Amino acid sequence: MSTTTDTRKALLISPELCIGCRGCQTACKNWNQLPGQKTINSGTYQNPPDLTPSAYNIIRFSEVPSQANPVQWLFVSRRCMHCGDAGCMKICPAPGALYRTNEGAVAFDKEKCIGCKLCIAGCPFDVPRYDAQGKVSKCHLCFDRIAEGLTPACAKTCPTGAIKFGERNELISVAKKAGYAKVYGEADLTGLGTLYAFKDAPRIYGMNDSPAIPESVIFWHKVLKPLAVIGLGGAVAGALLHYVTVGPHKDDEEVKKS
Amino acid sequence: MSETVRKATTSEIVNHWILALSCILLIITGYGFLFQLKQVYALFGSNYAMKVVHNWTGIVFSISLFSTLFNYLHESISMDNDDWNWIKMGGGYLTKKAVAVPPMGKLNTGQKLYYLAILIGGIGIGASGFVIWLVPGIRTLTIVAHLVHNLCFVLFVVAVPAHIYLGTLANPGLLRIMISGTVPLEVAKKRYPKWMKEIGKL
Repeated sequence: MSTTTDTRKALLISPELCIGCRGCQTACKNWNQLPGQKTINSGTYQNPPDLTPSAYNIIRFSEVPSQANPVQWLFVSRRCMHCGDAGCMKICPAPGALYRTNEGAVAFDKEKCIGCKLCIAGCPFDVPRYDAQGKVSKCHLCFDRIAEGLTPACAKTCPTGAIKFGERNELISVAKKAGYAKVYGEADLTGLGTLYAFKDAPRIYGMNDSPAIPESVIFWHKVLKPLAVIGLGGAVAGALLHYVTVGPHKDDEEVKKS
Repeated sequence: MSETVRKATTSEIVNHWILALSCILLIITGYGFLFQLKQVYALFGSNYAMKVVHNWTGIVFSISLFSTLFNYLHESISMDNDDWNWIKMGGGYLTKKAVAVPPMGKLNTGQKLYYLAILIGGIGIGASGFVIWLVPGIRTLTIVAHLVHNLCFVLFVVAVPAHIYLGTLANPGLLRIMISGTVPLEVAKKRYPKWMKEIGKL
């Protein structure tokens, strides 16, 4: 990774502290100048129902009643996870379209995006969205703010500390000190840039217990890409070798023989 | 001037050039995508421009490949014992000595196998390319298409240079089939005895 763990910034999300005010959604739209949009009632408080090209982050609302806790409401801030090993960056064919910032965020450049949508296939978290112009859109950890020492808009506006921003290492130790044995995203995909302090299993919060880049994408990256070079090189080298050692086909000699 | 036989019609020659040039352009841009090669992108002005070139060249390639069905498929799927023996001796390409290969028809075994490989690989790379381009957003489908596209790409980057070598340096004089479409009768008798018999020249 281009970012050392020392300089890597992250968000720590604590669903238990979230009151579902969705100020983070509004602050994000405000800073990133994203338009409002018509939404639909999906039967829950979740609004909009999913990430969109103009909703980089959403609060996912889920009601998970159990015997011990019959009224368990979970508010989980969802957005790009800024993976250390980012499937979107791995599969992206356009140089500079998705890039890693000094702070460890996965940012994007719409000018360089070719709109191929392969990042959707590479992402383990179903995050990238495409705008009306066919360009990638997603949370970029307010790379423009954090490069200037500011806090991302969502974390800045969060009234309860459910979204905290800071040095990634520090956030992990803070969460551990607060009694979270496991921080979601501490090690997955060489560490996520969006960490979660979950009290229960990640799947209760709607997160994948063990997120991973699709195996075929890993296979492509580790085997097919080198093979495409070795294959071409081998074919050209083989042809040259054949030309030097065996030489070209000679019809005339064949005639004499037959 | 010695007598010649026509091996390729004008439409075959034109189509083969279209297929060849579109294929090479697709391979060059393909490497650009595969390794995010800024130098290759720079040839096209912008990232997006290269994608447009790649996609539309893909259409040209696909139509051209479809047209080859009427030129080479029939011959390529008819194989017999001579073809099997040809394979066993590597088409005579593995030794310095001039060896007598089994009698061949209009296409030799290697060319038939090459055509079938390109046809199958071409259908695979074309179909998967159109899926990536035109049916985006269905994640599993895109993942499969991406894999198929890249598997076929490996086939192409190995097979195409070999084909070019065999059609030029390895067989001096063969390139004229791609230009005039004709072969001297004497050469044709040696290379394509079965075909020559069919058309009554041998």
